[in-house]
Amino acid sequence: MFYRRAGIRHTRYQDERQLFPLRFDRGLILVVLALLLAAPFLFDRLYVSGYLLPWLIWTSAALGLNLLMGWAGQIHLGYGAVMGIGAYGSVHLVRFGVPLEIAMIVGGLLSAGIGTVFGAAALRMKGIYLAMATLAMQYVVDFVISHSSAISGGTLATLQVPPVRFLGIPLAGEVPTYYLALAVCFVVTLFMLNVRRTSFGRALAALREKDYAAQILGISTFRYKLLAFWVSSFIGGAVGAVLAVTYLRAISPDQFHIELSIQILAMIIVGGLGSVLGPFFGTALILFAPILLNNLLGFGANAFGVEMPIDLRAHLPLVAYGALVIGFLLYEPLGLAKIYANFRNYLLVWPFRHAQR
Amino acid sequence: MSMDRRSFIAAGSAGLVAPFAGPAQVFAQEKIVRFTLAQDFTRIYTFVTSEYSQGQRDYFTLINDRGGVGGYKIVADVTDHANDLPRAIEAYERGKREGAVLVDPLSTPVARALVPRALEDKVNMITAYSGRSDAADGSTFPYVLPLSINYWTQAGLIIEHFKKVEKGSLKGKKIVFVHIDTPFGKEPLPILNVLAKKEGYELAVFPYTPPGNDQSAIWPQVRRARPDFVIFWGAGVGQTVALTEALRNGLPMDRVSSSVWLSESDMDVVGREQAKGVMKVEPCVGGREPKVIKDIVAEVVGKGKGAGPENKVGTAYYNYGVQMATLMVEGVRKAAEKAPNGPVTGPWLNEGLRSISNFTAEGLLPSTTITKDDHQGGGMGRIARWDGAKFVPISDWFSANQDVVWEEIRKNSEEFKKSGK
Repeated sequence: MFYRRAGIRHTRYQDERQLFPLRFDRGLILVVLALLLAAPFLFDRLYVSGYLLPWLIWTSAALGLNLLMGWAGQIHLGYGAVMGIGAYGSVHLVRFGVPLEIAMIVGGLLSAGIGTVFGAAALRMKGIYLAMATLAMQYVVDFVISHSSAISGGTLATLQVPPVRFLGIPLAGEVPTYYLALAVCFVVTLFMLNVRRTSFGRALAALREKDYAAQILGISTFRYKLLAFWVSSFIGGAVGAVLAVTYLRAISPDQFHIELSIQILAMIIVGGLGSVLGPFFGTALILFAPILLNNLLGFGANAFGVEMPIDLRAHLPLVAYGALVIGFLLYEPLGLAKIYANFRNYLLVWPFRHAQR
Repeated sequence: MSMDRRSFIAAGSAGLVAPFAGPAQVFAQEKIVRFTLAQDFTRIYTFVTSEYSQGQRDYFTLINDRGGVGGYKIVADVTDHANDLPRAIEAYERGKREGAVLVDPLSTPVARALVPRALEDKVNMITAYSGRSDAADGSTFPYVLPLSINYWTQAGLIIEHFKKVEKGSLKGKKIVFVHIDTPFGKEPLPILNVLAKKEGYELAVFPYTPPGNDQSAIWPQVRRARPDFVIFWGAGVGQTVALTEALRNGLPMDRVSSSVWLSESDMDVVGREQAKGVMKVEPCVGGREPKVIKDIVAEVVGKGKGAGPENKVGTAYYNYGVQMATLMVEGVRKAAEKAPNGPVTGPWLNEGLRSISNFTAEGLLPSTTITKDDHQGGGMGRIARWDGAKFVPISDWFSANQDVVWEEIRKNSEEFKKSGK
């Protein structure tokens, strides 16, 4: 009924090859996009800069990590450090007067370069051992940043982002910053949607399933493993720059510690490894569930006049949050994106029972 | 696991709608001043925040029960931001929307991220014992108010005290600085270095890796360095571990000092008897002796309105909370004096906070004067010594080495100003 799927088949190859073959999906995407575009004028500033902005930035980062973990199957526990390199690189450049557009790309390249050097460990190790190697990257980068005051910015270790322009528009206030984050997220999403249709994406998938089988099939594991780290780190670095410029506005080493890496990792695991939609859901859950649960509890406690110690009030949402994450993963181990896919499959030919696709 | 679709959707939509529910309008009819006290109760600061926040809330209860200040009642929204920037920024934006004119995040990372926002939105941000030390320069940071002695001043006070112990000269003495290897831990270094040149002592620096739950490699080296004095600088678990290791290595406790971050709770971990003699910087009076604390005990805690466990009343961090709350309330009083009918805005409160003069909160604080240039409040503190049961002051309120401290403050705030253009 919604998807008008029953009986309709494609008649041209182009139709089948579209990113979204179903008209309903295309419509839905356009509606969401239109909502996001109009958001600064529709919603209060609280929702734009408190929710949508971090959601877009963290989602972009999670998409970058998902390319590496979901597509290429290479585990990475130091993605926060990758973002940190990009953030520090680009902010330093901006402070030297380099335009933001170039600084973002150079920051990305810097991350890509350093990320690939550490990623080279993936040529020799897999799984948990690679996890350790990337974890080492996290700590090495943290150490270098916080111990060279030239990088971290002196005694207070805070690097202020100067006022910047992007394509001639000053990035001040919540509207331009929001649109920059939206644009970057849009580009990254488009890239991720298309990557799986390319030979690069298929090579990564082959690599993920079995690297020596891929090698036998003629896919250079050397090349594609490094390429996967390169591309993913580039996205991480560029998003790190966006994070610094639009959201943090003053960067310090502790913002890119292991906590950020784990947070982004959790986003793609909860959202769904290897899915493009997944990071959007995963980010929303990981970032906002604690806030919403906290506000909900606070509101409930006020409304019903429940007196509880502040420690309990602060910790209860975390308990609920943990239960929520575990609950979702028990309900559907493939992540939130799979829950959505199940729902969509059900509606595909609703009210009939059987979906073909 | 079976969860039928209906309950799933119901639960989901309930979760979505909830955040849009507005704040409870408790004092809808009265004139109020709203504070956003989003602090870290769950991640790093934990018990520090609990005690600090308890003090703040108890004092606000005291003031509100007495009928408010200058015709205004204080509404304090206390939430947890878990030292997490997205959560803290959300709480800040939410508070701003609800009309909060002051925010107290009690967290250095959060304060750093909120500095540009607070300056832009003209929301007063309190950064007591946290945030940027150079925020003491009020001309550069009009809306960032530490209202308390920063780490540079604390280091200056400790050195001055050591000098007094050595009868006026530190020449040829050796001072060891053991610190957590983070920007926070390294912060006092410039001051200690400058003073080393000025006073002629030798400075040896030993960093330990964060979070500092194992420092056993560092302290034998400290002992071998044969220091005349030891300063240890950290927070949370690092402090108790440092003190335990210092004891294990037989360092004389009466020559060991830390910053403001040492409390009765830490002493319970180290051992109240063993830690006897260790020193700390006291920014306000500890214990239940000050009149304000007595009033809280009588009028708030005694009537069962206390915000937390009664045995925490009068502990170091509780009193820090009361100290900051008294300064905030004094700011409101001054603001109401200048413009009794408001409107209650950030600039309105800012005027008040920046005209606090010679304020002691009936003996709780050293005389504190906040001006448009000096947000530190004069830089007064005192040194206190642990006697096995409580911290006993061993000096009067004093201020020291402010010339060196202000040089550093100006240097950093200049840098901030430059990058803001």
